[in-house]
Amino acid sequence: MDIGLLWFEISRSFPILSGNVAITYSDDDSHHQRCKDIISLGLSDALSEIVFSEIQCAVRDKIVPLFWSNFPIGLGITEQTIESQFLMFHQFASAVGNLQKNVSCLEIFIERLNKLDPRQNIDSRKLHAILLKTLLGQMPTGFNEVVSAFYCVAFQIYIQMYTNPTAVLTDAELIMNKKECSGCKNEMNGCECQNLDILINKTNKALREMELLDGIAGESLTLLVQKCIKGHIKETCHGIFDRSFLRQLEIWLDETIINWLRKIFSHVCMHSQTPETCTSNIIKGFKVKLTYFLYEHLALSIIEQFFSIIIDFPDSIPAIDDLKICMEKIDMRKHFIRTLTNTLKVRVLHPGVNTMDILTGYIAAIKAIRYLDNSGIILETVTTPIRDYLRKRSDTVRRVVTGLTEEGPTDLTEELAKGESSKENAKQDTNDELNNWENWLPDSYGIDQTARAQLINVNRSADIISMVVDIYGSKELFMNEYRNLMADRLLTYLDFNADKEIRNLELLKLRFGDSLLHSCEVMLKDLTDSKRINSHISSDTKYKANKIFDISAFTISAQFWPTFNKESLELPDEIANEFEKYTKAYEAYKGNRTLNWRTVTGRVHILIEIGQRIIEMTVSPTHAIILYHFQDKDEWILEDLSQITKVPSTILRRRIEFWISHDLIKEIRPGVFKLVEDDGKKSPFEKTQVSQSLGEEDVESAMASASDQREEELQVFWSYIVGMLTNLDSLPLDRIHQMLKLFASHGGGIEFTQDELKNFLQRKVRFNLNPEIHVMYAWSYAYRSARKGHWESLARDRDRFRKRIENTSKFINPILTPEHRSFIYNTRIDKNM
Amino acid sequence: MAQNISPEHSGVDSAKQGANSCAAKHGHAVSKRLQKELMNLMMATEKGISAFPDGENIFKWIGTIAGPANTVYVGQKYRLSLEFPNSYPYAPPAVKFLTPCFHPNVDLAGCICLDILKDKWSALYDVRTILLSIQSLLGEPNNDSPLNAQAAMMWADQAEYKKYLDAFYEKHKDT
Repeated sequence: MDIGLLWFEISRSFPILSGNVAITYSDDDSHHQRCKDIISLGLSDALSEIVFSEIQCAVRDKIVPLFWSNFPIGLGITEQTIESQFLMFHQFASAVGNLQKNVSCLEIFIERLNKLDPRQNIDSRKLHAILLKTLLGQMPTGFNEVVSAFYCVAFQIYIQMYTNPTAVLTDAELIMNKKECSGCKNEMNGCECQNLDILINKTNKALREMELLDGIAGESLTLLVQKCIKGHIKETCHGIFDRSFLRQLEIWLDETIINWLRKIFSHVCMHSQTPETCTSNIIKGFKVKLTYFLYEHLALSIIEQFFSIIIDFPDSIPAIDDLKICMEKIDMRKHFIRTLTNTLKVRVLHPGVNTMDILTGYIAAIKAIRYLDNSGIILETVTTPIRDYLRKRSDTVRRVVTGLTEEGPTDLTEELAKGESSKENAKQDTNDELNNWENWLPDSYGIDQTARAQLINVNRSADIISMVVDIYGSKELFMNEYRNLMADRLLTYLDFNADKEIRNLELLKLRFGDSLLHSCEVMLKDLTDSKRINSHISSDTKYKANKIFDISAFTISAQFWPTFNKESLELPDEIANEFEKYTKAYEAYKGNRTLNWRTVTGRVHILIEIGQRIIEMTVSPTHAIILYHFQDKDEWILEDLSQITKVPSTILRRRIEFWISHDLIKEIRPGVFKLVEDDGKKSPFEKTQVSQSLGEEDVESAMASASDQREEELQVFWSYIVGMLTNLDSLPLDRIHQMLKLFASHGGGIEFTQDELKNFLQRKVRFNLNPEIHVMYAWSYAYRSARKGHWESLARDRDRFRKRIENTSKFINPILTPEHRSFIYNTRIDKNM
Repeated sequence: MAQNISPEHSGVDSAKQGANSCAAKHGHAVSKRLQKELMNLMMATEKGISAFPDGENIFKWIGTIAGPANTVYVGQKYRLSLEFPNSYPYAPPAVKFLTPCFHPNVDLAGCICLDILKDKWSALYDVRTILLSIQSLLGEPNNDSPLNAQAAMMWADQAEYKKYLDAFYEKHKDT
């Protein structure tokens, strides 16, 4: 047989050998004949190898580049508009169509090769594998976006065609729908969804047949679906906390996404196994992955909004429930703690927020987080920064106490009222814990060890009030502040309704024990006692006979009251006498007890007659006394007034401001005040207004503040420190601290840390206020003497030594020269030899 | 002197077996008294005298007195050491000058010749009174029983004494 003829025949059967991809259909008979010839020549192996390598070449050099040439490089960079999306959609569909045509040609070659030599086990799978590899190897960068654009459109069309539109679309979108189909974005009457769907199905089928679906589209598909889930979560759940979404989302995932994927992947496996099981396997894998993804993103979305959830707490329980379920499946504690701590820091812990608001947030956070996580670990970790911050605010205790005792429902009052029942249950609870051991859960892991160590001592079951009180770490401090506030209230509103206060006190006593609140009890008792004493004394005939004005005293037992601040006020004789009379009557009534008047605190009811005005007011004693002094003298110099009343001039000036604002006194020159007699233009309306308004300082606290008291305590230690340092010269801080602990710890011991001591001592260090100046004259003598030093003698010695060397070298150097040495050698030694 | 006898020691000298426990109990009472004295001293506003325990041991104090005004010692500052016996306050503390002090009743080792620190001691004295006594001793020495004969001899001429004193402190400045 002619080899040339054979080659011609073979080329006709496999046009690929001459570089031609297109098929020429040769009849099977001649093909069969040629097969026999080749087999008889034993060339089948060689031929199939040649053909297959040609196929590979064709795939690499022609088919794949042809496929990619459909997609201009860099396409993906431009923003995806609907038009470009559709453009890509069509590009992709046609490209896949062409690809399939070409590949099917190659498949025919493969088939022919198989006929040629059935022993050679070449099937189309090998071809598909090669195709996939080559495709991926040459993939341009923007391609994934083309794929995702294709499936994006496909998904929209799927939604449009196969799901019940009312379930997905809201009313607004329905109105939109009248103009435009949401699937193909065409006019409603020209909707191409049906056609497009057919195209999509065709493309999918082509990809499936070439086994390219997973390789080319898998990644984009997953991304698309994830994006879709994310968008859906955001759309449905964002900002809504009062409904649970988990179930609804799961159903949505199952009905929409999974069904769509099922549609794409059905019949994906043409070979091996039954297509049904294969598809369901793939879908199952997808479902597991996507469900996880759904949970994760729902949790992330909830965590992101957890601050709002905290704020809405009792209404937002469903959202927390969702998060709870998600967190059981996925460990997100660390993320949760980090995110929430950050959010709190940004939203709450800065100077712009009211302490009251921070407290409210804190309480809500306790409630919400406790609901989420019963073990208290998250709660501890997240709220520690809040507590640290609150500790730095000076008005925290005050706010807490106000919150506890305020009228009207606040979180804290409710909690306090609740406290009664919880206290009773406390004993039962401990029993429950033992009985319930089967339900015990170990602490969750993922909390670092240091945090864990801190948590060991924490009382996990502490209720909200104790959590709030614990901000300061000690009940005593808190109770002190409560006492101060109560003292203020009692002194400010003398006609105080004690019933409510007593009720509060009883509630607090249940929680904090009797001993801490004993003095508060005494204070309340003082109130009722003084009412009785007052009525008794004012009914005393002897006292009644010679009094000028009514005095109603509030007798307090100084031992149990907080320390007063150190303001003073000297009463004019006329008034002081009246007080003296009251004291006498009291002494007569109470036997061997007497009264110490605190003249600054209290209320004075005065009637002012000035010019044509008559004003009735209730003011503080200082105000009244100022005006009293203006009775005798129209004009006062600030210093003189300050001397008579024994009120420091700065405070006095502040008090006078009150009268200036009422137009009774004016400052005619700096430091000189004059009574205003004529009112002239004042309307009666303004007058009444004046008599009702109380100056701001009226509500000023009469009590020494907690920090003042602390300062006093430290002052005691200061004298110890002075003694210590005069005798022992200098001591390091820790030693001072230790010594104070040792020697100054009578009565309760010292309750401050080294840091506090350091702060205190640092405040004691200051520059001399009258510095002595030592002038440094820069004349040459001083300059020289200032530069005198050890180095100078060294330099001098160095100089001297150099001079000596120079002097000596004059004599020694000539002797050491080689000429001289050889001369000496020659003349002395050589001669002798 | 009856008041200088510890109630626990009067008549129970024979009970030696219980001495140890007794001493420990007594030691506690002494430290309590010393602590109280310390507090009084710290709270007192007296200028010129001061004392504080030297380290953790409350039985060993360091005291400081300033040279009294209108004497040759004005402007000087003296450190003293006070060591309290276990039987304090029924026995006087051992008081010594740490700063060298040129004075008729103080020897160069710092020992003080003062009656109330020896036979005239009374349990009613305390650290404050001791320091005040020493302070006043500086201004009014007892030249009849001198420990430092040179100082006693020189005392008569105050101007000369002052000159010598200044030279003395110039010499001892570093110590």
